[in-house]
Amino acid sequence: MSALDDAQEEAKADMTPMIDVVFLMIIFFICIEFKVLESKLDAFLPTDKGSQSTVVEPEEQLAIKIHVEAKGTADYERYGGKGVNPNTGRPNRFQLVGHKVKWEVGPKPIYSLAALREELGRIARDPASQIPDKKTGGTKLMSCVIEAYPGAMYADVASTNDAANDAGFEEVNFGGGLGPGK
Amino acid sequence: MNLEKMVQEELEMDMTPMIDCVFLLMIFFVLVIDLSQKNLEDLILPRAEFQEPDEEPPENRPILNVLQNGTVIYSSKVYYDPAEHGKNYAPIKQLLSDIRRIGLANKTLTLVDKDVGGATAKVMDEPILIRADKWTEWHYVGEIMKQCSQPDIAFWKVQLALSEEDKETGEKNASLTRGQ
Repeated sequence: MSALDDAQEEAKADMTPMIDVVFLMIIFFICIEFKVLESKLDAFLPTDKGSQSTVVEPEEQLAIKIHVEAKGTADYERYGGKGVNPNTGRPNRFQLVGHKVKWEVGPKPIYSLAALREELGRIARDPASQIPDKKTGGTKLMSCVIEAYPGAMYADVASTNDAANDAGFEEVNFGGGLGPGK
Repeated sequence: MNLEKMVQEELEMDMTPMIDCVFLLMIFFVLVIDLSQKNLEDLILPRAEFQEPDEEPPENRPILNVLQNGTVIYSSKVYYDPAEHGKNYAPIKQLLSDIRRIGLANKTLTLVDKDVGGATAKVMDEPILIRADKWTEWHYVGEIMKQCSQPDIAFWKVQLALSEEDKETGEKNASLTRGQ
């Protein structure tokens, strides 16, 4: 009887820890990205010879310049005051109050976004804005380049680009390299 | 005596399965949660009417965030800080060439031949997304774009992130308000 008891106890080995471990391993292998590990291995790949520099023939472009009239002042009040957010470690946002820009389309100064939309629409409809299209042999609307002067904000460029798209300009280039604002 | 035994038995509750479950849950949440959002910083994007919806973004598209002060962040890590680096934009160039090198090595990025003004050049097939705050100076975005256009980096598809709603002023695009 005692021997039978012993045998029965052996048969009741506890499977729970093993199943737990197996589940852990399954989740681990499902979730791990093997690519991350692979990228840590050294690889000696053939280097590219580099691309040749090319010359692109200049095309006529409409220049839209964004000049800053008033830089505006940073208002941190709405986003918890000036400082660093302890949760994210990033500086708090600010709202720029009193930021004002002036556009220059060709030689013409423009002081509001509505007037800019109107002026760009007028230029886009003007037959003189059509330039020869080398790909199709026909004509197309000239491209425009947005030149943001120092101190111009991303919002200014985005709204200018929006106005240009609204007017029908399909190719919009971004000028740059004019340096940071003061 | 009998009662004491019962009390003792209750105290000996087996904690092992509970701890196992907690560990499983912890591992699950650590690995799964927040993988998709970790590349996106908390920014307010400018509103624009004309934009393409970003519904199916390319899987391996790198995302650069530019904070209001010009700090460039990639995968939650600061790579360029104007307060520290000033006009030295080499860290941005280094970051872009690292993204390119690692992406090409992992085959998450690919090079294609592109006709540039009559000659063929090898350029990146995947786009790169620049997310800047509406009150980020354009100069910093322009600097990243300039670096992207270098022939040894050649991210020629630069996407700029815009929003359909200005979360600061509450202005919405007509397409959003039309349904209301």
